[in-house]
Amino acid sequence: MTYAYLFKYIIIGDTGVGKSCLLLQFTDKRFQPVHDLTIGVEFGARMVNIDGKQIKLQIWDTAGQESFRSITRSYYRGAAGALLVYDITRRETFNHLTSWLEDARQHSSSNMVIMLIGNKSDLESRRDVKREEGEAFAREHGLIFMETSAKTACNVEEAFINTAKEIYRKIQQGLFDVHNEANGIKIGPQQCISSSVGPSTSQRNSGDVESNSGCC
Amino acid sequence: MAAYLQWRRFVFFDKELVKEPLGNDGAAPGSAPTSGPTASKFLCLPPGITVCDSGRGSLVFGDMEGQIWFLPRSLQLTGFQAYKLRVTHLYQLKQHNILASVGEDEEGINPLVKIWNLEKRDGGNPLCTRIFPAIPGTEPTVVSCLTVHENLNFMAIGFTDGSVTLNKGDITRDRHSKTQILHKGNYPVTGLAFRQTGKTTHLFVVTTENVQSYIVSGKDYPRVELDTHGCGLRCSALSDPSQDLQFIVAGNECVYLYQPDERGPCFAFEGHKLIAHWFRGYLVIVSRDQKVSPKSEFTSRLSQSSDKQILNIYDLCNKFIAYSAVFEDVVDVLAEWGSLYVLTRDGRVHALQEKDTQTKLEMLFKKNLFEMAINLAKSQHLDSDGLAQIFMQYGDHLYSKGNHDGAVQQYIRTIGKLEPSYVIRKFLDAQRIHNLTAYLQTLHRQSLANADHTTLLLNCYTKLKDSSKLEEFIKTKSESEVHFDVETAIKVLRQAGYYSHALYLAENHAHHEWYLKIQLEDIKNYQEALRYIGKLPFEQAESNMKRYGKILMHHIPEQMTQLLKGLCTNYRPSLEGRGDWEASGCRANSEEFIPIFANNPRELKAFLEHMSEVQPDSPQGIYDTLLELQLQNWAHEKDPQVKEKLHVEAISLLKSGRFCDVFDKALVLCQMHDFQDGVLYLYEQGKLYQQIMHYHMQHEQYRQVIAVCERHGEQDPSLWEQALSYFARKEEDCKEYVAAVLKHIENKNLMPPLLVVQTLAHNSTATLSVIRDYLVQKLQKQSQQIAQDELQVRRYREETTRIRQEIQELKASPKIFQKTKCSICNSALELPSVHFLCGHSFHQHCFESYSESDADCPTCLPENRKVMDMIRAQEQKRDLHDQFQHQLKCSNDSFSVIADYFGRGVFNKLTLLTDPPTSRLTASLESGLQRDLLMHSRRGT
Repeated sequence: MTYAYLFKYIIIGDTGVGKSCLLLQFTDKRFQPVHDLTIGVEFGARMVNIDGKQIKLQIWDTAGQESFRSITRSYYRGAAGALLVYDITRRETFNHLTSWLEDARQHSSSNMVIMLIGNKSDLESRRDVKREEGEAFAREHGLIFMETSAKTACNVEEAFINTAKEIYRKIQQGLFDVHNEANGIKIGPQQCISSSVGPSTSQRNSGDVESNSGCC
Repeated sequence: MAAYLQWRRFVFFDKELVKEPLGNDGAAPGSAPTSGPTASKFLCLPPGITVCDSGRGSLVFGDMEGQIWFLPRSLQLTGFQAYKLRVTHLYQLKQHNILASVGEDEEGINPLVKIWNLEKRDGGNPLCTRIFPAIPGTEPTVVSCLTVHENLNFMAIGFTDGSVTLNKGDITRDRHSKTQILHKGNYPVTGLAFRQTGKTTHLFVVTTENVQSYIVSGKDYPRVELDTHGCGLRCSALSDPSQDLQFIVAGNECVYLYQPDERGPCFAFEGHKLIAHWFRGYLVIVSRDQKVSPKSEFTSRLSQSSDKQILNIYDLCNKFIAYSAVFEDVVDVLAEWGSLYVLTRDGRVHALQEKDTQTKLEMLFKKNLFEMAINLAKSQHLDSDGLAQIFMQYGDHLYSKGNHDGAVQQYIRTIGKLEPSYVIRKFLDAQRIHNLTAYLQTLHRQSLANADHTTLLLNCYTKLKDSSKLEEFIKTKSESEVHFDVETAIKVLRQAGYYSHALYLAENHAHHEWYLKIQLEDIKNYQEALRYIGKLPFEQAESNMKRYGKILMHHIPEQMTQLLKGLCTNYRPSLEGRGDWEASGCRANSEEFIPIFANNPRELKAFLEHMSEVQPDSPQGIYDTLLELQLQNWAHEKDPQVKEKLHVEAISLLKSGRFCDVFDKALVLCQMHDFQDGVLYLYEQGKLYQQIMHYHMQHEQYRQVIAVCERHGEQDPSLWEQALSYFARKEEDCKEYVAAVLKHIENKNLMPPLLVVQTLAHNSTATLSVIRDYLVQKLQKQSQQIAQDELQVRRYREETTRIRQEIQELKASPKIFQKTKCSICNSALELPSVHFLCGHSFHQHCFESYSESDADCPTCLPENRKVMDMIRAQEQKRDLHDQFQHQLKCSNDSFSVIADYFGRGVFNKLTLLTDPPTSRLTASLESGLQRDLLMHSRRGT
């Protein structure tokens, strides 16, 4: 399966907010009500289509547990997008967002697209964090905001795809150096650099890509 | 849950100490011979084992004494001296019977690599094909690890000084391989692994502080730094394809998985790792709880220590611990013969036998971990039957807990394997229609539903009053393919009163009968039904029209008539946008539709009129019925003006020529309705002059009787006779008619006078005066005739006598030829000349040039020949008896016909046959007679 770009995502947030379920819903389109704790960092991938381009999303699902924080931190590096998840039924997960955001900003490239996600929107009756609060937090920190439900699959697809769109937009604006893998973006194998990338960089980097594809 | 930072644990392995084989003769060192067969001892390996590996059906050990031991399945331990001092590393290839080893033959740091071919023997020991020293550079260094690529073309050796040498080329021979230093680092190398993907070969190198990968199949060996923390000795392994052939590095905090180009997932398994091993999809980790720095562990590896160590077997796919046990001082873990063997310092071998899938699943079921069971079953490639079994159990479990929604989800996954009635009954019992519906829907989607299921599903929908779902069910599926029995569906929907849905189905699946049945019997939307019929192709339209015509006619006569008109003339389905569908329309037999119009004479009339106009060749029934209708109307009409109009119509219909051939019915109709003109017209058509006359006679219309006689007397003379007898029988005064009739009879000579008199004699009123003129005239004519005949007779007699004389003369008296002129050239006759008895003379040359034969006179020949021909023709004709009969019938003077035939010699042969003379005589006699007769007849005409 060829792809034009590979974007690396990382999903972060407190334990039990539904990070793994979001990933499972996005990659497998199913919901597992009983989900064991994530120990370490897991991994999922799916192809999406943005503007007619095949884009592979490589998603790192991290453990939210405080004790794994040091392990998961090393995965921030090399992520182009982050899904910062909180649970709308548990206010403390919302309160911890700032520390997560600090972590993310500190350990990732400055261009990383962060999407704030209020999960478990299906549990409206147990809501503890207002939608407006989420929106306000996102506005304040320059994030994209969305409420999702991994159980009903509501907005799950959109959350991942909107993030990808935003990254793609940034690439086209030239904000990302697509050839620095530390940015979490990889050009697909056998993929020539098209006009979507700035013409000034294309000349220089085409050689790199060829040597890359030649040896892998 | 938050505090429990580990995966679930199960006991999917059975632990067992490996015993000495029975009948062991005690060859294995350290094991005493057994005293009895039952008291078998545990297998004990020689002490001082330093390294081990497995493959090719054997466990391979190396010890401190320089021996290499093989333990095959039969547990008969064999060994040989490989090194003089000790064996430090072993690598058994899995696909070749090649063993690579590192050991020392002399004191000091001087490691030697030996490659053994286990198939070839050299004095009882395996053949050593190659020996070379393992030196990374100029200084000899301690070897830390060794790996060989299965293709025998790569061998990598890691050293404690942080360098790695790569041996490229056939490793079993000196000549074809060359060694080079691949890597030079600062940290001791702790693990090496080759990974082959496609044509690319990677070498993973892990040190105590970092992880790198090299591409060794190409040039330049490009390197990728994968991570900045490493692991201890023997704490790395290569996974199998279930984990994407990732390189596993078991660090103390975490187990990391690496792709050749990047880091993959990680698992935070706590503990100080001692050994990492990959076994059939499981990651086996031996760890020690207390934290010891990796470096000190590295150096103290060979030192004897006996502390408790934990062995965990992780299933990374399904995220659980498949086995966990505490061992004392594990030397190594080996995988062979499908099991895992744990070798401990005390020389014991523990076998860890994996339980079979079914047992494992049952264990999960007991704990109600169905999701996990499903995942496990999937990763173990359990067949679909087995999976269905799990889904069913899961479903049953959820069901028993009252989680019907969840249960149905599971039951749905059993579709195709589990008998649907099992599930259906459960949900019927629980009265969970929603769930039942979901199940049935899926059943239908997979095309596994039978008619009963369809019925049930539709009943569910109707019971739930969920018409939107129902609609969806019906509509979405009908487009691509139908997953249910449409007919059943229609029946159910109809029963439940969902007529519109039933209609939709019927329409889309061309169940015209059902459509119409519902439309007419349930909804009573006659317009729509009619429109629908109008869209159908001809055959269906026709048959449905016949079936439902009456109902439709009863409710919407006009439209119905309209459609019927179309159907019977040039039917074309009224499909929009398909104008040129079938240019030549069909037409139905309009006669068959007549019964539909019962009780609706007005429409019937319109229909029939249309039919007779548009289609002149309509069946007879049409015209008959139309006539009947017209006559009925005519008979019931009171207004004379209208009546007149109807009369004209009926007559014109009669005269349209449709009743020429079959007029019985029309006649009956006319008679029934007392439609005189029609009756008479029909009689005339049918040439039933007698009937016409009788009709008039019955109605005492004398003038008409005469008129009929006059008109049709030519064709049927007996009319006059009948008229006469009719009038004769009349008691009233009808002399003038009698006279008129008599006049005709007389003129045409239709009846013998005697018969006339007899006829009239019946009548009391007819007097002699009426008949006198007739009789007088008759008698006069008779006498005239007699006179004429007598004259004729006389003339014939004279003629006959004359001819007789002539014959006599020719026979008896001489003939004088005194002609002076030639009968041909009309010039004076001169010799030579030819004379004939007929009195003609010719010049010989004239005669010769003129005559056809010498015997005949050319002048008389044409005449004679004519006569002869006539005779011959008559002779031929006399045998045509049919013609005779016919003539006899047709002729009004049969006697003369008989006479004529007699003249032709009908009876000649008969007489000749009774009295046969000689043939010549007969011929002459005959011809002579014929001549006579001919003469006679010629005179007569």
